[in-house]
Amino acid sequence: MSAPSDTTSHTAAATALVGRKRLLPRLKGHGGASWHRWRYPLTRRTPLLIETDYSLTTLTAERRILNPRPVLWLLALAILAIAPPLFGNNSFVSASTNFAMYAAINVIWMLTIGTAGIFSLASLATVGVGAFGAAYLSVYDGFPWWAMWASGPFFGLVFGIFIAIPAIRLEGFYYALLTVGITELCRVYTVQSQKLGAASYGLFGADGFVPRDMPEHEGLVLGYYAAFGVLLLALTLYRSVNGQRLGRLLRAAPEKHEAFAEALGINYRAARIQVFLISSAGLGGVGGFYATLLHGASPSLFTMDQLLLLLAMIVIGGIGTTEGAVLGTLIVVLFDKVFIGLGPVRLILIAGIMLVTVLFLRGGLFGIPEQFANWRAKRRSERRGLQSGKGGNVMPEDAIEILDKQSIAVRRFDARLREELKGLITDSLIEEHRTTNGKRRSDALERVLTFFRRAGVEDKYAILAVRPFAEYRIVALSGRRGVPPRVVDDQVFATPEDALHGVFLKRVQDLQES
Amino acid sequence: MDPYYLVLTTITLAAIYGLLALGISIIWSSLGMINLAQGFTFSVAGYGAWLVAQNISANGFAVVAGGVITGALAGALIGGIAFIPLYDKPNFPLRSLVATLGISLFGGQCLLWIFGPRVKALPKIFGVGNVHFGPAVASYDKLGSIVCSVVLLIVTLAWMKTSRRGLEIRAMMQNPEGAALVGVGLRSTAMSVMMVTGAMAGLASVLLSQNYFIRPDAGVTPLVKGMVVALAGGLGSVAGALIAAVLIGFIEAVTAVTLGGQYVLITQFLFIILVLLVRPRGIAGMIEHTRE
Repeated sequence: MSAPSDTTSHTAAATALVGRKRLLPRLKGHGGASWHRWRYPLTRRTPLLIETDYSLTTLTAERRILNPRPVLWLLALAILAIAPPLFGNNSFVSASTNFAMYAAINVIWMLTIGTAGIFSLASLATVGVGAFGAAYLSVYDGFPWWAMWASGPFFGLVFGIFIAIPAIRLEGFYYALLTVGITELCRVYTVQSQKLGAASYGLFGADGFVPRDMPEHEGLVLGYYAAFGVLLLALTLYRSVNGQRLGRLLRAAPEKHEAFAEALGINYRAARIQVFLISSAGLGGVGGFYATLLHGASPSLFTMDQLLLLLAMIVIGGIGTTEGAVLGTLIVVLFDKVFIGLGPVRLILIAGIMLVTVLFLRGGLFGIPEQFANWRAKRRSERRGLQSGKGGNVMPEDAIEILDKQSIAVRRFDARLREELKGLITDSLIEEHRTTNGKRRSDALERVLTFFRRAGVEDKYAILAVRPFAEYRIVALSGRRGVPPRVVDDQVFATPEDALHGVFLKRVQDLQES
Repeated sequence: MDPYYLVLTTITLAAIYGLLALGISIIWSSLGMINLAQGFTFSVAGYGAWLVAQNISANGFAVVAGGVITGALAGALIGGIAFIPLYDKPNFPLRSLVATLGISLFGGQCLLWIFGPRVKALPKIFGVGNVHFGPAVASYDKLGSIVCSVVLLIVTLAWMKTSRRGLEIRAMMQNPEGAALVGVGLRSTAMSVMMVTGAMAGLASVLLSQNYFIRPDAGVTPLVKGMVVALAGGLGSVAGALIAAVLIGFIEAVTAVTLGGQYVLITQFLFIILVLLVRPRGIAGMIEHTRE
């Protein structure tokens, strides 16, 4: 299975909160079963992260899948493999073929933009170069379709080397603008060149992999499965670059942290160019496939509108993830090819979706869960800020997130205790504390002091002897091993007794403010 | 090769490229946004001028004013959609870039929907005829284009140098945060930048439409040219954009005369790639580092 998965989902699930619903089924079994893992053949890598835990309600062992992505990928790919040829008419099948091909392009493009971090907009141009190269060899040199498939990556690689030269020096948007220009250059060249079919708006007449005597529907289905195979290959390529050594190297050298990566000995430039060339070769390969599918190539591959549609695909899904690329492609192709009766309105709709996505969403559709979680956490903390006057009482909506329900009762008890102790604090009590150090004290003062002494170590006040018998200061303990206490304020006390009374005053103040 | 023809073509092209590149360059340096919807502004302004010529008056001034005003309005629209809601959000440069591309797709398709795919032509606002400078011959079109764009360039630059708004724009180019701290309104300044650059694109559109037709996708080529000129000159540098406009106009004129029109883009791109390999921030570009 070539489903890309991410280890970040593990940490997300590990901090999962109590009371949240889980969409994935819980598996049974414990003992030896808790340690069983499926593995990719010949590797130690596991497709599913499984955690064994005991149910809080029934205390039975249950195994939970922490990362749902591989399961969802498998389901989605299964639907893609079965549904279009089974249920669709001819135009739907050819739209699905388009979808699979563009999804493959976007997945490989994601290697350049996401993994290598090179914001190249020349992806479709690379596909076009591969397509024109393969079509040229077929039309003028009689290459059969399998040789066209083989020659596509070669053209893509050569073009990739050519456009990688400026990428060595240029960064970010400078390179993006240059690649837009290069795409336009390709368009103008193919429109004007006689050998590349300027007269017929495209170079057609190349060999195709669908046999000519095949009935139309079967031919389309064969085309679809071939395109689906290309998509699977693209996903495999993505995973084997992004998930392996090259991808890890580049993940250690994100934008603005390149110097750090270089100091670690990572040659991030070489890695970026390598990924860029691999993805160019892949895009060229898709181009070769395109030429065999359509029996040629057309300059419309190089138009600004096509580039914009491609960009819309990855922006809607979310830049940087394969599932975003595939879902965005699905949406755009659905509008572009299936609702073709709408005319220009369908492109306006696509542009509208793109604008709404980019204006309101940070990471496309697949970024919605994270953005929503952030938004909800922000609203929660705002609400908690408003409720701090409730004296630490736990509101019902917070209670579902606290695993240890007893701590809720403790907090409620503490709140009531504080309210009661506040009533005991008077000027005479404070004065009593100052004068009766080491002597017998009243019951009220002892109660207050017992409450203070019971506090946790974190942020507990302590006395630091800067110079014994001469200078004492108040510090607050960090509560963590290895982290030193912090100095609380500038007050300096001459004797330990004064310092003790200073600590008492601080605690009284904290109590009054709570 | 006729040197007078070469010089004249160079100046014409440089003036128009300068108008386009300057707009992109100023927007980038003051707003930190790459405006790829400048091509849309260009097309819309062409249609605005055409509507004025059809419905109100075919007088040259009216047509130019129609183009300029439509361009300024389109610029304001782009600023309102792509800058105002996004400028304080995370990942602003990429999102605004995508937003301008979205506007460009949206607007281009709307134009196609409203006006149809048939091309439109503007009236010849400078009349038809030739002027002789010794051995050189210049058509009214060319002279008019040169004069108009040079006048607008000078007016814009003078406005940027002398007026209060121009000072605010230059302050924002140097240090946006500092400008905001001393009371320069980011939003209002941004909107005026967008309108001025939109007006420049509008004028360029009317001038170029003397020789080309108005189409829904007429803005793509000028956008690409203006963008690469701005890139070669150094994004954010006014002087660099002008130098690059002259150089690239010259290369286009020479290539068209010696090799033929279809090689123009290739030689231009080889030149630009060469420039960028030597100076990755363009001929006069330094400002991006100071922005950060």
